[in-house]
Amino acid sequence: MLRRGVVCVVLAGGVLSANATITHASSRATSSTAQGSITVSAAASLTDAFRALAREFRSEHPKVRLRFNFGSSSALVSQIQAGAPADVFAAADTSSVDKLAASGQVNKTPRIFARNSLQIAVKPGNPLKITSLVGLSKARVVALCAKTVPCGVYAATALQRAAVVLPESNVSRGVDAKATIGAVVNGDADAAVVYATDVRAAGRSVASVTIPKAHNVTAMYAIASLRESKNAKAAQAFIDFVMSSVGQSTLVRFGFARP
Amino acid sequence: MSTSSVTSRIPRGLGVLGAIGAAFLLLPLVGIVRRVAWSSLWQQLTSPQITEALRLSVTASVVATLCALILGFPLAWLLARVNFRGRSLLRALVTLPMVMPPVVGGIALLGVYGRTNGLLGSFLFDTFGVQITFSLTAVVIAETFVALPFLVLAIEGGLRSIDPRHEEAAAVMGAGPWQRMSLVTIRLLRPSLIAGIAVAWARALGEFGATITFAGNIEGRTQTTPLAVYMLLESEPEAAYALSLVLVLVCVGVLFALRDQWLGRRS
Repeated sequence: MLRRGVVCVVLAGGVLSANATITHASSRATSSTAQGSITVSAAASLTDAFRALAREFRSEHPKVRLRFNFGSSSALVSQIQAGAPADVFAAADTSSVDKLAASGQVNKTPRIFARNSLQIAVKPGNPLKITSLVGLSKARVVALCAKTVPCGVYAATALQRAAVVLPESNVSRGVDAKATIGAVVNGDADAAVVYATDVRAAGRSVASVTIPKAHNVTAMYAIASLRESKNAKAAQAFIDFVMSSVGQSTLVRFGFARP
Repeated sequence: MSTSSVTSRIPRGLGVLGAIGAAFLLLPLVGIVRRVAWSSLWQQLTSPQITEALRLSVTASVVATLCALILGFPLAWLLARVNFRGRSLLRALVTLPMVMPPVVGGIALLGVYGRTNGLLGSFLFDTFGVQITFSLTAVVIAETFVALPFLVLAIEGGLRSIDPRHEEAAAVMGAGPWQRMSLVTIRLLRPSLIAGIAVAWARALGEFGATITFAGNIEGRTQTTPLAVYMLLESEPEAAYALSLVLVLVCVGVLFALRDQWLGRRS
């Protein structure tokens, strides 16, 4: 009897998504009626966290297909302004989203969903004994994000606060946070100034050096749904999920701080 | 001389598709020209970041083409003239960088010349303290890597099409191997040599993926023109379009110089 009931629910769920309200015990499903596919344009530093989040989102909203477009927040702004299809925009700063808000391209007020800070990534074992931003002058090549990209702007602020001037001829610019730490992970850059979450995600292929509070920067991550979206319901469902306790604890697991 | 009237009459649908094909290739050029801010063009092209990038690009691509020539000529000779086991396999492998995604080429180069894990790079660094990556040398290596196959193929094709009787005649007249090569073969090879050099140079000039992966993106040191275009697209899009225009004009120049080889001035 019980087994037949489950089969019925599964069948019903397969045919009618509205019937998801008839939940069976193991499902945590909220009454998800969102369906279809959405594109989430997200800051590169969110890559790992959002991929994990997507798996959890899927179990709550099995009918929504998520597509990610990761890149630097500033590049994503240009893409969206140029008409690239996107339903949700998650940026590593607030000003990128504000830019789109100013041109009326986002619905509602953007929400802050996570915080991040900067760290120095060095080669495993820290062969150059870099212990602070000042120590970066010992490096032959320091990887920083491009000047227009949020992590590049943050790094410039931190370096300025520490009164460190790195000659541009020692600085290799990554197109986004992931590319920047990649120069240390895969390449021969001696150090990179990137998000703490990137350093954490890189695991043992780098060593981390903390930047003291006085010099560090708090990156505020903002998220908004886009006016051009053809699937506002699913877009909102994703944003709600990011703000939910499940979404937030996933972000924390990847090293982000709560807003 | 002219095509026969029968073959020049093509099915109508084919003509339409052909015209769409031409428009497909030409419209993006219009797209660049349209976006160029002509009034401030000169000012943009003379900004330090751009002049540095252009200077670097010219230096690196010329050196890379020379390297490709020095290594590619003998290699093409081997492939065209010497019978050895595995020749066709070698030819296939030599052309691999042409079809390989450039960023994969960059990773492959890191595997050889990288300071930490590179086959040769770690030895160079540990014994001499020499680091190749993130330097102009790395840019040249990346560009040579992608340009060399084009040169090899062009020269090899040229060598195969030379009538061996010219060289035999020179030999009969007492010319030694080096003399034969410099007096006869290279002269006959001229068209394919020029074509090969031009394509290789254009390919080196446009190299992006391998460069950014292997040589990084250091302003004034390894940031070549294509990298600068990519970086400027966000901060100063007008400058990016201006610089793109320069690259397109350079390529048009190459085509113009090669019009005899390619643009169908067949006699």
